[in-house]
Amino acid sequence: MTLTASGKRDLRQELEAILGPGAVLSDPDELLVYESDGLTLFRALADFVVFPTSAEHVSAIVKLANREKLPFVARGAGTGLSGGCLPTEGGIVISLMRMNRVLEVDYDNQIAVVEPGLVNLHLSWKVGPRGYYYAPDPSSQQACTIGGNIANNSGGPHTLKYGVTTNHVLGLEVVMPDGEVVWLGGKTRDACGYDLAGVFVGSEGTFGIATKIVVRILKKPQAVKTVLAVFDEIDRASEAVSAVIGRGLVPAAMEMIDHLTIQAVEDAFGCGYPRDAAAALLIELDGLAVGMEAQAERIVAACRETGAREIRTARTESERLLLWKGRKSAFGAYGRISPAYMVMDGVIPRTKLPYVLHRVNEIVAAAGLRVGNVFHAGDGNLHPNLLYDPRKPGDEARVVAAGAEIMKVCAEVGGSISGEHGIGLEKSDFMPFIFSAADLAFMHRLKSAFNPTGLCNPGKIFPTKKSCGEVGPVAYRPHPIEEKGLAQRF
Amino acid sequence: MPDALLDKLRATVGTQNVLTGVELSPYVIEGRTPEAAVFPGSVDEVAAVIGLAADAARPVTPWGGGTAASVGMPAAPAGLVLGLRRLSRLLEHEPGDLTASVEAGMTVEAFQTALRGRGQWVSLDPADARLATLGGVLATNASGPRRHLYGTARDLLIGVTVVTADGTVVRGGGKVVKNVAGYDLPKLFVGSYGTLGVIVEATVKLRPLPDHERLVCIPFERLKDAGAAVRALLASDLIPNAIELLDAPAGAALGAESPALVVGFDGLREQVDWQCAELNRLAVACGGQEGRPLPDGTWPRLETAARAAFPVVAAVMSFSVLPSQVADLMEQGAGGARARGLASAWAAHAGVGVVRAAVGSDVRPKEPSAIAAVLREWRELARAGGGHGTLEWAPLAVKSQVPVWDDPGAAVRIMERIKAQLDPRNILNPGRFVAGI
Amino acid sequence: MDASPLTLHGLSVEGVNQCVHCGLCLAYCPTFSVLGTEMDSPRGRIFLVKSLAEGRMSLSDSTVRHLSLCLDCRACETVCPAGVPYGQLIEAAKAEIERQRPGGPVRRIFRWLNFGLLLGHPRLLALAASGARLYQASGLQRLARRSGLIRRLPGTLPAWDALLPTVPSKAERAAPPRLTPAEGPRRARVALLTGCVQSVVFGAHNRATARVLAKNGCDVVVPDGQGCCGALNAHGGDHARALAMARSTIDTFEAAGVEAVIVNTSGCGAHMKAYGHLLADDPAYAARAKRFVASVQDLAEFLAREPLRGPLSPVPLTCTYHDPCHVVHGQKIKSEPRQLLAQIPGLRLVELAESDWCCGSAGIYNLTQPEMATRLLHRKVGHVLATQAEALVTANPGCILQIQAGLSAHDAKVNVLHLVEILDRAYGGHGGSRR
Repeated sequence: MTLTASGKRDLRQELEAILGPGAVLSDPDELLVYESDGLTLFRALADFVVFPTSAEHVSAIVKLANREKLPFVARGAGTGLSGGCLPTEGGIVISLMRMNRVLEVDYDNQIAVVEPGLVNLHLSWKVGPRGYYYAPDPSSQQACTIGGNIANNSGGPHTLKYGVTTNHVLGLEVVMPDGEVVWLGGKTRDACGYDLAGVFVGSEGTFGIATKIVVRILKKPQAVKTVLAVFDEIDRASEAVSAVIGRGLVPAAMEMIDHLTIQAVEDAFGCGYPRDAAAALLIELDGLAVGMEAQAERIVAACRETGAREIRTARTESERLLLWKGRKSAFGAYGRISPAYMVMDGVIPRTKLPYVLHRVNEIVAAAGLRVGNVFHAGDGNLHPNLLYDPRKPGDEARVVAAGAEIMKVCAEVGGSISGEHGIGLEKSDFMPFIFSAADLAFMHRLKSAFNPTGLCNPGKIFPTKKSCGEVGPVAYRPHPIEEKGLAQRF
Repeated sequence: MPDALLDKLRATVGTQNVLTGVELSPYVIEGRTPEAAVFPGSVDEVAAVIGLAADAARPVTPWGGGTAASVGMPAAPAGLVLGLRRLSRLLEHEPGDLTASVEAGMTVEAFQTALRGRGQWVSLDPADARLATLGGVLATNASGPRRHLYGTARDLLIGVTVVTADGTVVRGGGKVVKNVAGYDLPKLFVGSYGTLGVIVEATVKLRPLPDHERLVCIPFERLKDAGAAVRALLASDLIPNAIELLDAPAGAALGAESPALVVGFDGLREQVDWQCAELNRLAVACGGQEGRPLPDGTWPRLETAARAAFPVVAAVMSFSVLPSQVADLMEQGAGGARARGLASAWAAHAGVGVVRAAVGSDVRPKEPSAIAAVLREWRELARAGGGHGTLEWAPLAVKSQVPVWDDPGAAVRIMERIKAQLDPRNILNPGRFVAGI
Repeated sequence: MDASPLTLHGLSVEGVNQCVHCGLCLAYCPTFSVLGTEMDSPRGRIFLVKSLAEGRMSLSDSTVRHLSLCLDCRACETVCPAGVPYGQLIEAAKAEIERQRPGGPVRRIFRWLNFGLLLGHPRLLALAASGARLYQASGLQRLARRSGLIRRLPGTLPAWDALLPTVPSKAERAAPPRLTPAEGPRRARVALLTGCVQSVVFGAHNRATARVLAKNGCDVVVPDGQGCCGALNAHGGDHARALAMARSTIDTFEAAGVEAVIVNTSGCGAHMKAYGHLLADDPAYAARAKRFVASVQDLAEFLAREPLRGPLSPVPLTCTYHDPCHVVHGQKIKSEPRQLLAQIPGLRLVELAESDWCCGSAGIYNLTQPEMATRLLHRKVGHVLATQAEALVTANPGCILQIQAGLSAHDAKVNVLHLVEILDRAYGGHGGSRR
C-alpha cells in the first residue's frame, strides 16, 4: 500500500511516541542509505527506518504495522548478500543495531544470551578472555550481526567442523509477525515440542524478529595449525579437497582461493598468498596439541600426492591471522580490481568440485565476464564472484544470466542454490531449480503458520512467477533490473 | 475398518503386506489394537496408503522398529499402523562427500554396518540400534552418549523426504552438507513424532571412523564430587565424546558399586592416551578413584543405564536441564523418591544436561498415584531451573495422571498452527504429542 | 550512465566507486557504533558522497549533519578491503559543505580567526597563547565559569572554553634550539616539525623530541618560519588555505636539506604524507610534494627502525597506549610505539581495549560536535580506567588534551603522556612534562 503524506506524518508521530526521539527515519535522503544490503544489484526504499531498543519496542512497531497493513522487515548490519532485508514493498525497516548487548554469559553451561544487533565477532571478543569463542564465523563476522546470522543460518569457514549457526542456537525470544512475544526453545539442549528454534533459524526474517538469542559458546581449542597448500593448477587443488576428506580427516576449515582473488587480497593487505599460484588451499586443524603434527602430516601428504607445489605452515599467530584476514576480506578486496561484483553462493557435493569449477569458468567466459573464486572447499560451498562494472550497459544483465546458469549447474549435480547467503530477493526465482511445486507449497503452509498475513518480510524466498507453482498470495513483481530493461526472466 | 478400504490397501501394497486380526499383536499399544498394519514397499506406496487413510479419515501411526511406540499417548481412535520396514535400502553413499541417503526403514545397525565397511559412520548411537530404524530415530530425536561431541539428529540430518498428511511427497533440505535454500524442514521433522508427515528417506552427514575409541569409568563416593569433576572436565582442554554421570543404582548396572563418571574419548591413539591420563588427574583431584577402561560392549548400555537398574520399571522420565544442574537434579530427585518409599536410578549425558530417571517397581506394584506424585515432583525440579521433563515410559494409568509432555509455554500456539496447516484433518498420530497435537 | 569522473568542489571522489558495499567497515566506525544509523557509517557516508556527486540528492540539512558527524578518524580505511580512499572523500565532502553552507556570521568569524589567522601566522598564535595564558592565570576563566557567563556565549564557545588547555608559561612554550647536534655515531640529519598548536601547548614535547632524536644519533634542525601544515584546514573543509599551507611547508623543509622530516603529532604527519594527493594537480608542486612525502616520518616510525640507543634508565610505570587515529589509521603505525615502550626498562605495558578508537578529539571535532565527542571520550576513559594503568601514553596533542580532560572529570589519577616524554625520561630528561 502507498502512504499519503499526511498518513506518513501521523505514522511517524506514532512511531516516535513508541520509540522516543532520534529513533525514526523518514527523510528521503536518509532512507536512501538503506536501499541496499551488501548486494547492490537490488534496491528498495522503505517508508521508515526505526531503531528499537527492546522487544517491547519491536512488538509495538509490529502491532502498529499490522494495524496499518504495512509490511515490515528486520535489518542488522546490512551485510547480507541476497537482498533479504530489503523492503520490497516499502513499509518499515526495523533496524536492530541499537539492540546489541551481551545480556548474559554462563560459562559453566557454555551459553550466552545476546541481542540480535550484536556484531558476531564482538561476542567472541567478549568471551575470549575467559578462553571461549562463538564458533560460526561468516567472513563478514567483523560487521555482521548475530540476528542477521539467525535469519540466514550463516556459515563461515569453520563450519566444516563446527556446523552453521543453527547448530549453535538453543533458543530465541521472538516477536511474532502479529506482535506477540514468544520464546522458541530455551537454554537447554532438547526442545519441548517441535524444534521451533531450529525451524526459525534460516527463515530469512519471514517468521518473526528475534529479540534475544541463546547461543552456545565453545572452549577455544588447545592448539591450532594452519597450512597453505599452493597449486599450479586449480584442478589439482580441487582434487586435494576430496583426498583430504578421503583420508578420514575433517579439518576445522578448508578454503580455496584462486589466482585472481589472490591478486585482490594481496593488493589489499599483503597477506602472504603467493601471487603466481593458480590456487591455494587454506587448511586449518584445531583441537588437542597431542596428535596435531600427525594429523598435519596426513594432510600434507594428501596435498602433495594431488600435486601441491608447496606447503607452508603459518609459523606465528600473526601470520595465521593475516592469512585469515586475506580470506575473510576477499569479497571486499574485489573492489581493488573491479567496481562491482556479484557473489554467487552455491553448494555441490565435494566430489563434483573439479567438474563444476570448469563449468563455472566456461559460463563466465561465454558471458565475457571475469570470475574470482574464493570458497569453503571442504563443504563444497562455492562462491564464484562475477566481476562487472555497473556503469557498463548490459553488464548487470549478463551477470544475472550467468549467475542463473551457475546455479543450474549446482542444482544438476545434486547441490543447492545457497549454502549460507540465503535466497532472499536474489534467488527466489531459482527455487524451482531444486524444489518441486509441492515442496514450495508445503513450505508456504509452514510460513502461514508463523506469518499468516505475509506482512513480515514479504517478497522473499518464494518464486514470483506463477508458473513456478501456485504458492500462495505472492504477486509477481519485476526485479528492479528487469524494470530497467537490463534483464529478462528466464 | 470397511472391507473396501482394506481391499484398496491390499491392492496398493500387496495382500501379504497388510496385517489384520491376531497378526496385529506386535502393534498393540497400551491395550489398543490398530485396525490394520500396512507395509508399503516404496515411497509411492506410502503416499498412496496415506492418501487412502486420509480419504477414509483413519488415523495413521508411522512405525519403524517400534522401539518408541509407547512414547506419548496412544491415538484415541484406532487406525492404521504404517510400517516402514520394507523401505530399508541404502540409496547412496559417496565417501568423498561424507554423506549418505537411506530409506527410513533401514535399521541404525544395518546402516552403520554398511558405512563402517567404507571407513565411516553416522554419529548417532541411540539405544536398540538393532531394531530402531533411522526414520524412527529422526522422528523421535533419539540419541545416545556420543551426542556430547557429535550432537543429535538435528545436527546430522541435511535432507528429508516425507509423505505429508494428504499423501504428497515433499522434500526439504538436500544432499549437500551446507544448505540454506528454503525453510529448514529437516529441523521441523526431527522430534515431531510423526505428527506432521511420515519420513520416508533421509540424507545425513557422516564422519570418518576414529582410529581409536575408549570408555573410562571413574567411581566416586559421592555423586556431588562426580558432578564437580564434570564441571572441571567441561572447562578443560579435553575433548571427550561422551560424559555420563551415573548414580549408584545406575552405576551398579554397569558394574560399578558407587556413583560413577563414565567418559569416552576418540581420535588418534596418542590423543586418547593423553586424554585418559589427564582425565584421571582431574577426576582424582575431585575425589574420584583411578579410572578403569570399560569394554566396548558398554557403549550401547549407557543410554538405558537408569532403566536397567531394575528388573521391572514403573516409569521412566527424561529431562533436559542446564548441565550445571544435572548432579543436583539427580540427588534431589532420588531423595524425593526415597521419601515416598520409591527406588529410583539416575543416569545423565551430563555435558549436555540430558538426564534420565527410572522408578523401580518391586514385587508389589505401586499405586499409580504414588508414582505420579514423584514424577510431578521431578518435573517441577527440572522446571525450576528452566528445564523440562518428558515421561518416556509409564503405564497408561500413570500417564493419565501426569502429562507425558511438558508445557512448551506460549510457543504451543505456533505448534498448534503448524499442525493445523500441515495436517488439517488431524490424521497423523493424532493426540500423541505435545498439547494434544 | 554518465561516465565522467565524479567530483565534489572540484575534488575527485572517484574513490566512491571502489566501495563494493560489503559493510566490513561498519563496526569499526565510532559514530556508527554509538548511533547505529547507517548514514553515520563509512559505507553510508560514501553512499551519500556518491549520491551527491552523481546529483542524486542535494546537500540537505540531514546530509550535512551526517557528513559533519564524521570524525575523519579513518578507522574504516584500515579495515577496508577495497581500499576506498575514505579520507579524501570526506575531505572533499566537507569542502563542498563549506562552500554551500558557510554558516552564520559568528561561525564565519571564528573560522577565519582560527583557520585564516591563527593557524597561518605563528606569531599571532603565540600572541593568542599569551592572551589565553592571561585569561587563565588572572582567574578570569574561573570567574567566567563560576558566574555561568560562559554558558551564555554563542555557538560552541562554551565547549571551546572547557577544552582550552592550560597554556604553559612563555618559557615552557619555548621552541627547541635551531640545531641539536647528534650524540654518538651519526645516524641522520633530520628536521623537526614543531607544529602550530603543538608549539604553544606542548613546546616541551618538541624539546624532548629533539633530545631523544639526538640521543639516537640525529642532528636535529628546526627550520625557521614553519607555519601550520594545513591539516586542520583540510579536515575543516577549508581547502584553499590548506593548499597554500602545504606549499609553504614544502618550501620551508626543502630548504633545510634533511634526510627525514620528523613529526610528533599524528594529524600533521598523516596530512603531510597526503600532500602528494593534495598537490597532484599543481604542476609546480606535484613532483616536489611526492619527494617531500617520502621524507616525512612519524617519530615512532623513525625511531623504531633501529633499537633505541642506550643507556636507558628505568621508568617504573604501568602504562597503556592509545593509538591516535592519524597514527594508526592515517599512517598505519601500530606496532612501532609499543615496540619502543617495550625497550624501556621497568615499564609495564598493558593493552587498552579499543586502543585504536578515536577519543573524540579529532582535530576540532570536540569543539564542533561536543555531544558525540563526549560520548566517545567517556567510552575511552572507561577503557583506560579498566586497565588500571598509572599512565596513558599516546602520541598526539589533541588526544592528550581530550583524554586528560576526560580523566580529570572522573578524578582519575592517570597521567597522560606523549610517547616522547616517556622516552625522554628514560634518557634522564625530565620528560618534558608540563607539570
